[in-house]
Amino acid sequence: MVRFATTESGLSVTFVGLILRQIRSRPLRAGLTALAVAIGVTAVVALGVLTVSLKTTATELLKVGNADFTVSQRNTNDLINSTISVSDIAAINRIPGVGRAIGALISTDSYDSNNPLVIEVGLAPVDQAPFGVHILDGVSYTGGATDQVMLGYAFAKNVGKQVGDTIVIDKHSYHVVGLYSTNVSFGNSTVMFPLSTLQGLNRLSGQVSLGFVKVDSGASIRQVRRSIDNNFRQLTTIQSASDYGRADRNLTLISAANTGGSILAAMIAITGVLNTSLLSFFERMREFGIYRSIGWTRRRVVGLVLGEALIVSMFGAIVGIAMGWAAINVLQHLRQLRGIFVPTYDSAVFLRSLAFGVLVAFLGALYPALRAAFLAPLKAVRRE
Amino acid sequence: MNSGPQIGSDTPAIVARHVTKRYGRLSVLNDIDLEIAHGEFAVLVGPSGSGKSTVLHLLAALESPDDGEIVVAGHRLGHHAHGLSRYRRNDVGIVFQLHNLIPRLTARENVEAAMFGTHRGHRQRMARADELLERLDLSDRSGEHPATLSGGERQRVAVARALANEPRVLLADEPTGSLDEVSADIVLQIFADLVAGGTTVLAVSHDERLNRRADRLITVIDGRTETGDV
Repeated sequence: MVRFATTESGLSVTFVGLILRQIRSRPLRAGLTALAVAIGVTAVVALGVLTVSLKTTATELLKVGNADFTVSQRNTNDLINSTISVSDIAAINRIPGVGRAIGALISTDSYDSNNPLVIEVGLAPVDQAPFGVHILDGVSYTGGATDQVMLGYAFAKNVGKQVGDTIVIDKHSYHVVGLYSTNVSFGNSTVMFPLSTLQGLNRLSGQVSLGFVKVDSGASIRQVRRSIDNNFRQLTTIQSASDYGRADRNLTLISAANTGGSILAAMIAITGVLNTSLLSFFERMREFGIYRSIGWTRRRVVGLVLGEALIVSMFGAIVGIAMGWAAINVLQHLRQLRGIFVPTYDSAVFLRSLAFGVLVAFLGALYPALRAAFLAPLKAVRRE
Repeated sequence: MNSGPQIGSDTPAIVARHVTKRYGRLSVLNDIDLEIAHGEFAVLVGPSGSGKSTVLHLLAALESPDDGEIVVAGHRLGHHAHGLSRYRRNDVGIVFQLHNLIPRLTARENVEAAMFGTHRGHRQRMARADELLERLDLSDRSGEHPATLSGGERQRVAVARALANEPRVLLADEPTGSLDEVSADIVLQIFADLVAGGTTVLAVSHDERLNRRADRLITVIDGRTETGDV
């Protein structure tokens, strides 16, 4: 039976109790070590959630209109900068097995200081339903209208607009004719224009950003994708998040930044634990010598040192998760990320943070633990 | 258990043959021979610096000899011996001259710490520690830390710790040196009980009270041994 607490006098001491005793005897040092781990875990949590969230937001685009896959320009730096000619979308519609291909133009603009980045979608009225647009209030704009827009209901609520109001975007006034929702959450924060109007505003006549393809029932998605990839060398098809990197390098860069940031955070935390464990080792050499001389095995001495580091690190990891969560809330409200960064709390990020705590404890305390275990008992006992 | 080849039970509890120990150029033990029977109470005497404590440290496997052979409780010791932790824990108990208690642990916990890794659960460890501390008249001091114990009390806690795992051989460096008459009598009575029960006791001592009780005094001078009966 393992007991996790001991008293100073009345009860038996356990191995875990010994570990806790040591931690309690130097609270400031344990606290600073935990803080180093907490800072590392904060970075891991914040970067992890940020990366997952941006990936989720980005890949939600793939699910628009329940499309089987998306078509974009090959090797663009950002999917939003992809351009595909409308004639290519028409040609894709003629490929055997393609049930429906919709082209949509996507651009960004600034609305006001609270909404510095608004996603604009240009879509023909006929394509709204297949695109997953559901009109909640009002009506759709007409095909060639240059002064009509529809607002995603979340954006409308954010800026306090409703059907019948006027909205000014990039010095142009538009009449709000409808509010809509989409089957993906980011779509509810967008502004929708007639396709030709948004093409004109962006000087992209005859161009769209992405194509959304639904294959015929019974047709092979794989074969249809291969046909498009083979027939349109300038385009690429995207079905999964892993395909995404072929079209959009930003996600790859974000993932790389996450990995790099996590490694840096780990190095900081490991250095913190190593520093404390080494200091503790030098202070307690005599104690380790006594343990060895009364028959403790090397393994038990290693367990004592690693156990202390593990408990402190896990405490730091829990604090770090809370700090990471707070950091995410701060990031979420940054003007620059509003509308783009919708936090996605993936349990894997938190599990990874706890694993990070264990790894930091192990790597930081292993060397001092081994030195303690391999001390010559008598030399250590004689040390003043 | 494997701290070297096992030796038959008819061999003495402690055997040292041609043992030499050097620290750099300083030769501390020079070709010493020693045999102590099972259940014998022997005391190493001699001037300071003659090598008495080094003999105990070699027998406790805290150091290795440079030359010679050592067999204790049937276990051959030396540089290449295996299972030394188990040997130190189960077969031999050592009382250091300077007590060497863990400052952060109470008297009872210091005794219990010696029983980690044995078959005893924590209740049994606590019961055994209480039993030993009671025998050493330290029941009311079991919750105290070493810093708040007197020198004599610390020495008795060190004796209790050495006896925790019922060793076959007890090695004690000046076990009564810092004890008053009453405390010394308690320790000496425990040693007598141990010897009566078959435990071998080898002590280093300048204390006449202890030397008088010994079966044999072994004089160590300049790293060599000379044996004589009491």
